[in-house]
Amino acid sequence: MTRTVDSYRFISGITRRMIKNWIKMEAPRPIPWTPLTKPLSECTVALLSSAGVALKSDAPFDQEGERQNPWWGDPSYRILPKDATEEQVRLYHLHIDPAYAEQDLDCLFPLQRLQELEDQGRIGRTSPRHYSIMGYILDPEELLTKTVPALIRDLKEDFADVVVLVPA
Amino acid sequence: MQRELEAAGLSTICLTPVPELTASVSVPRIAAIEYPLGRTLGQPCDDAGQMAVLEATLGALESIQTPGGIVHLPFEWPEDPKEVQNHPPEDPPIGRYIVTHPWTLPRLLSRRVPD
Repeated sequence: MTRTVDSYRFISGITRRMIKNWIKMEAPRPIPWTPLTKPLSECTVALLSSAGVALKSDAPFDQEGERQNPWWGDPSYRILPKDATEEQVRLYHLHIDPAYAEQDLDCLFPLQRLQELEDQGRIGRTSPRHYSIMGYILDPEELLTKTVPALIRDLKEDFADVVVLVPA
Repeated sequence: MQRELEAAGLSTICLTPVPELTASVSVPRIAAIEYPLGRTLGQPCDDAGQMAVLEATLGALESIQTPGGIVHLPFEWPEDPKEVQNHPPEDPPIGRYIVTHPWTLPRLLSRRVPD
Protein backbone atom coordinates (compact mmCIF):
# COMPACT_ATOMS: atom_id res chain seq x y z
CA MET A 1 0.00 0.00 0.00
CA THR A 2 1.38 3.43 -0.87
CA ARG A 3 1.92 5.59 2.16
CA THR A 4 0.97 9.25 2.37
CA VAL A 5 3.81 11.75 2.15
CA ASP A 6 4.37 13.77 5.32
CA SER A 7 4.63 17.42 4.22
CA TYR A 8 6.42 18.31 7.46
CA ARG A 9 9.04 15.58 7.76
CA PHE A 10 11.87 17.96 6.96
CA ILE A 11 10.18 21.21 8.01
CA SER A 12 9.85 22.45 11.57
CA GLY A 13 9.51 25.54 13.73
CA ILE A 14 8.16 28.79 12.33
CA THR A 15 8.23 27.53 8.72
CA ARG A 16 5.95 24.68 9.71
CA ARG A 17 3.57 27.02 11.55
CA MET A 18 3.56 29.39 8.61
CA ILE A 19 2.75 26.69 6.08
CA LYS A 20 -0.03 25.25 8.25
CA ASN A 21 -1.50 28.73 8.59
CA TRP A 22 -1.34 29.44 4.87
CA ILE A 23 -3.11 26.13 4.21
CA LYS A 24 -5.92 27.12 6.57
CA MET A 25 -6.36 30.43 4.74
CA GLU A 26 -7.14 28.79 1.41
CA ALA A 27 -10.57 27.69 0.24
CA PRO A 28 -11.12 25.14 -2.54
CA ARG A 29 -11.69 26.60 -6.00
CA PRO A 30 -12.73 25.11 -9.34
CA ILE A 31 -9.66 23.46 -10.87
CA PRO A 32 -8.58 24.22 -14.45
CA TRP A 33 -8.11 21.06 -16.50
CA THR A 34 -6.30 20.26 -19.75
CA PRO A 35 -6.24 16.49 -20.30
CA LEU A 36 -3.42 14.97 -22.31
CA THR A 37 -4.63 14.63 -25.90
CA LYS A 38 -1.74 12.50 -27.10
CA PRO A 39 0.69 10.02 -25.57
CA LEU A 40 3.61 11.41 -23.58
CA SER A 41 5.88 9.91 -26.25
CA GLU A 42 4.59 12.63 -28.59
CA CYS A 43 4.61 15.50 -26.08
CA THR A 44 7.00 18.41 -25.64
CA VAL A 45 7.86 18.70 -21.93
CA ALA A 46 9.09 21.86 -20.18
CA LEU A 47 10.32 22.35 -16.61
CA LEU A 48 9.38 25.27 -14.38
CA SER A 49 11.49 25.60 -11.23
CA SER A 50 10.99 28.01 -8.35
CA ALA A 51 14.61 27.68 -7.21
CA GLY A 52 15.81 30.96 -8.73
CA VAL A 53 17.94 29.31 -11.44
CA ALA A 54 19.53 31.67 -13.96
CA LEU A 55 22.34 31.49 -16.50
CA LYS A 56 25.45 33.22 -15.19
CA SER A 57 25.35 35.23 -18.43
CA ASP A 58 21.84 36.45 -17.59
CA ALA A 59 20.75 39.08 -15.05
CA PRO A 60 20.64 37.63 -11.52
CA PHE A 61 17.42 37.51 -9.55
CA ASP A 62 17.36 40.57 -7.30
CA GLN A 63 18.57 39.40 -3.90
CA GLU A 64 19.63 42.80 -2.64
CA GLY A 65 16.04 44.01 -3.08
CA GLU A 66 14.89 41.21 -0.81
CA ARG A 67 17.58 41.99 1.76
CA GLN A 68 16.35 45.60 1.79
CA ASN A 69 12.68 44.60 2.02
CA PRO A 70 12.31 41.09 3.45
CA TRP A 71 8.62 41.01 2.55
CA TRP A 72 9.45 41.28 -1.15
CA GLY A 73 10.72 38.64 -3.58
CA ASP A 74 11.80 39.05 -7.20
CA PRO A 75 8.76 38.12 -9.36
CA SER A 76 10.61 37.86 -12.68
CA TYR A 77 11.53 34.69 -14.56
CA ARG A 78 14.53 33.35 -16.41
CA ILE A 79 14.92 31.14 -19.45
CA LEU A 80 17.29 28.16 -19.39
CA PRO A 81 18.24 26.33 -22.59
CA LYS A 82 17.63 22.59 -22.47
CA ASP A 83 21.35 21.82 -22.38
CA ALA A 84 22.25 24.20 -19.53
CA THR A 85 24.68 22.69 -17.03
CA GLU A 86 25.66 23.41 -13.44
CA GLU A 87 28.74 25.30 -14.64
CA GLN A 88 26.59 27.71 -16.65
CA VAL A 89 24.00 28.57 -13.99
CA ARG A 90 23.67 29.93 -10.49
CA LEU A 91 20.84 29.62 -8.01
CA TYR A 92 19.60 32.89 -6.52
CA HIS A 93 17.42 31.84 -3.58
CA LEU A 94 17.91 33.03 -0.02
CA HIS A 95 15.72 30.35 1.59
CA ILE A 96 17.36 27.12 0.45
CA ASP A 97 20.86 25.72 0.38
CA PRO A 98 21.80 26.04 -3.33
CA ALA A 99 24.98 23.97 -2.96
CA TYR A 100 23.37 20.69 -3.94
CA ALA A 101 21.85 21.96 -7.20
CA GLU A 102 25.00 23.92 -8.01
CA GLN A 103 26.89 20.65 -7.66
CA ASP A 104 24.34 18.68 -9.72
CA LEU A 105 21.57 20.71 -11.31
CA ASP A 106 19.47 17.62 -11.94
CA CYS A 107 18.70 17.13 -8.25
CA LEU A 108 16.41 20.16 -8.56
CA PHE A 109 16.13 20.96 -12.27
CA PRO A 110 16.43 17.67 -14.18
CA LEU A 111 17.37 18.92 -17.67
CA GLN A 112 19.73 16.02 -18.37
CA ARG A 113 17.27 13.43 -17.15
CA LEU A 114 14.62 14.95 -19.42
CA GLN A 115 16.97 14.78 -22.42
CA GLU A 116 17.59 11.12 -21.60
CA LEU A 117 13.85 10.52 -21.58
CA GLU A 118 13.65 12.06 -25.05
CA ASP A 119 16.54 9.86 -26.23
CA GLN A 120 14.69 6.81 -24.90
CA GLY A 121 11.43 7.84 -26.58
CA ARG A 122 9.57 8.12 -23.27
CA ILE A 123 8.70 11.73 -24.09
CA GLY A 124 8.37 13.33 -27.51
CA ARG A 125 11.00 15.96 -26.83
CA THR A 126 12.41 18.18 -24.14
CA SER A 127 11.41 21.79 -24.77
CA PRO A 128 14.20 23.93 -26.24
CA ARG A 129 13.61 26.37 -23.37
CA HIS A 130 12.91 25.78 -19.68
CA TYR A 131 12.01 28.26 -16.98
CA SER A 132 12.71 29.38 -13.45
CA ILE A 133 11.16 31.82 -11.05
CA MET A 134 12.32 32.52 -7.49
CA GLY A 135 9.70 31.04 -5.20
CA TYR A 136 9.86 33.34 -2.16
CA ILE A 137 7.03 35.67 -3.17
CA LEU A 138 4.51 36.59 -0.47
CA ASP A 139 2.44 38.90 -2.71
CA PRO A 140 1.91 37.18 -6.07
CA GLU A 141 0.33 40.06 -7.95
CA GLU A 142 3.21 40.93 -10.28
CA LEU A 143 4.01 37.24 -10.75
CA LEU A 144 0.47 36.55 -11.91
CA THR A 145 -0.10 39.68 -13.98
CA LYS A 146 3.30 40.03 -15.68
CA THR A 147 5.43 36.90 -15.38
CA VAL A 148 2.84 34.19 -15.96
CA PRO A 149 1.46 35.63 -19.26
CA ALA A 150 5.03 35.93 -20.56
CA LEU A 151 5.77 32.34 -19.51
CA ILE A 152 2.63 31.11 -21.28
CA ARG A 153 3.60 32.99 -24.43
CA ASP A 154 7.11 31.46 -24.41
CA LEU A 155 5.82 27.95 -23.69
CA LYS A 156 3.35 28.16 -26.56
CA GLU A 157 6.03 29.47 -28.93
CA ASP A 158 7.92 26.23 -28.25
CA PHE A 159 4.74 24.13 -28.67
CA ALA A 160 5.02 22.81 -25.10
CA ASP A 161 2.32 20.30 -24.18
CA VAL A 162 3.34 19.45 -20.62
CA VAL A 163 4.88 21.50 -17.81
CA VAL A 164 6.48 19.83 -14.79
CA LEU A 165 6.67 22.29 -11.89
CA VAL A 166 9.43 21.59 -9.39
CA PRO A 167 9.66 23.75 -6.29
CA ALA A 168 12.85 24.65 -4.51
CA MET B 1 0.59 29.81 -11.26
CA GLN B 2 0.12 26.15 -12.18
CA ARG B 3 -3.60 26.89 -12.48
CA GLU B 4 -2.93 29.63 -15.03
CA LEU B 5 -0.72 27.36 -17.15
CA GLU B 6 -3.37 24.64 -17.16
CA ALA B 7 -6.11 27.14 -18.03
CA ALA B 8 -3.97 28.26 -20.98
CA GLY B 9 -4.04 24.73 -22.46
CA LEU B 10 -0.96 23.05 -20.98
CA SER B 11 -1.14 19.79 -19.00
CA THR B 12 0.73 20.36 -15.76
CA ILE B 13 1.94 18.46 -12.73
CA CYS B 14 3.69 19.74 -9.61
CA LEU B 15 6.32 17.54 -7.95
CA THR B 16 6.16 18.78 -4.38
CA PRO B 17 7.50 17.91 -0.94
CA VAL B 18 4.68 19.95 0.66
CA PRO B 19 1.60 18.41 -0.97
CA GLU B 20 -0.81 19.82 1.62
CA LEU B 21 0.21 23.36 0.74
CA THR B 22 0.17 22.72 -3.00
CA ALA B 23 -3.24 21.02 -2.78
CA SER B 24 -4.68 23.91 -0.78
CA VAL B 25 -4.36 26.16 -3.84
CA SER B 26 -6.42 23.80 -6.03
CA VAL B 27 -3.89 22.76 -8.68
CA PRO B 28 -4.72 20.18 -11.37
CA ARG B 29 -2.18 17.42 -10.58
CA ILE B 30 0.27 16.71 -7.78
CA ALA B 31 3.07 14.17 -7.36
CA ALA B 32 3.99 14.20 -3.67
CA ILE B 33 7.50 13.26 -2.56
CA GLU B 34 8.91 13.04 0.97
CA TYR B 35 12.29 14.63 0.19
CA PRO B 36 13.96 17.72 1.71
CA LEU B 37 13.82 21.15 0.07
CA GLY B 38 16.62 21.79 -2.38
CA ARG B 39 16.87 18.18 -3.53
CA THR B 40 13.40 17.44 -4.78
CA LEU B 41 14.57 14.96 -7.43
CA GLY B 42 17.12 13.31 -5.15
CA GLN B 43 20.77 13.35 -4.16
CA PRO B 44 23.41 15.05 -6.29
CA CYS B 45 25.05 12.56 -8.68
CA ASP B 46 22.36 9.91 -8.09
CA ASP B 47 21.33 9.86 -11.75
CA ALA B 48 19.30 6.67 -11.41
CA GLY B 49 17.44 7.94 -8.35
CA GLN B 50 16.63 11.26 -10.02
CA MET B 51 15.44 9.45 -13.14
CA ALA B 52 13.16 7.21 -11.07
CA VAL B 53 11.54 10.28 -9.48
CA LEU B 54 11.10 12.07 -12.81
CA GLU B 55 9.64 8.96 -14.45
CA ALA B 56 7.24 8.48 -11.53
CA THR B 57 6.18 12.12 -11.81
CA LEU B 58 5.41 11.74 -15.51
CA GLY B 59 3.62 8.46 -14.71
CA ALA B 60 1.49 10.35 -12.20
CA LEU B 61 0.67 12.95 -14.87
CA GLU B 62 -0.56 10.15 -17.14
CA SER B 63 -2.52 8.36 -14.43
CA ILE B 64 -4.35 11.30 -12.85
CA GLN B 65 -7.73 11.43 -14.56
CA THR B 66 -9.60 13.91 -12.37
CA PRO B 67 -8.66 17.51 -11.51
CA GLY B 68 -6.92 17.82 -8.16
CA GLY B 69 -5.55 14.29 -8.21
CA ILE B 70 -2.57 13.53 -5.95
CA VAL B 71 -0.18 10.60 -6.33
CA HIS B 72 2.07 9.90 -3.33
CA LEU B 73 5.43 8.70 -4.61
CA PRO B 74 6.99 5.82 -2.66
CA PHE B 75 10.58 7.10 -2.48
CA GLU B 76 12.26 7.26 0.93
CA TRP B 77 15.00 9.74 1.78
CA PRO B 78 17.96 7.85 3.26
CA GLU B 79 18.88 10.39 5.97
CA ASP B 80 17.18 11.03 9.28
CA PRO B 81 15.59 14.53 9.21
CA LYS B 82 17.86 15.59 12.09
CA GLU B 83 20.90 14.83 9.94
CA VAL B 84 19.75 16.76 6.88
CA GLN B 85 21.97 19.79 6.17
CA ASN B 86 19.73 22.38 4.61
CA HIS B 87 20.83 25.78 5.86
CA PRO B 88 21.11 28.58 3.32
CA PRO B 89 24.54 30.25 3.36
CA GLU B 90 23.03 33.35 5.00
CA ASP B 91 19.94 33.57 7.21
CA PRO B 92 16.88 34.46 5.11
CA PRO B 93 16.16 38.22 5.38
CA ILE B 94 12.60 37.60 6.59
CA GLY B 95 13.92 35.35 9.35
CA ARG B 96 16.29 38.04 10.59
CA TYR B 97 13.52 40.64 10.34
CA ILE B 98 11.10 38.62 12.45
CA VAL B 99 13.75 38.15 15.14
CA THR B 100 14.23 41.93 15.43
CA HIS B 101 10.54 42.75 14.85
CA PRO B 102 8.72 39.85 16.54
CA TRP B 103 5.38 41.67 16.55
CA THR B 104 5.27 41.23 12.77
CA LEU B 105 5.21 37.43 12.98
CA PRO B 106 1.37 37.31 12.77
CA ARG B 107 1.65 39.17 9.45
CA LEU B 108 3.97 36.50 8.08
CA LEU B 109 1.77 33.71 9.38
CA SER B 110 -1.26 35.24 7.68
CA ARG B 111 0.66 36.41 4.62
CA ARG B 112 -0.29 40.06 5.04
CA VAL B 113 2.51 41.99 3.40
CA PRO B 114 3.08 45.46 4.95
CA ASP B 115 2.46 48.37 2.56
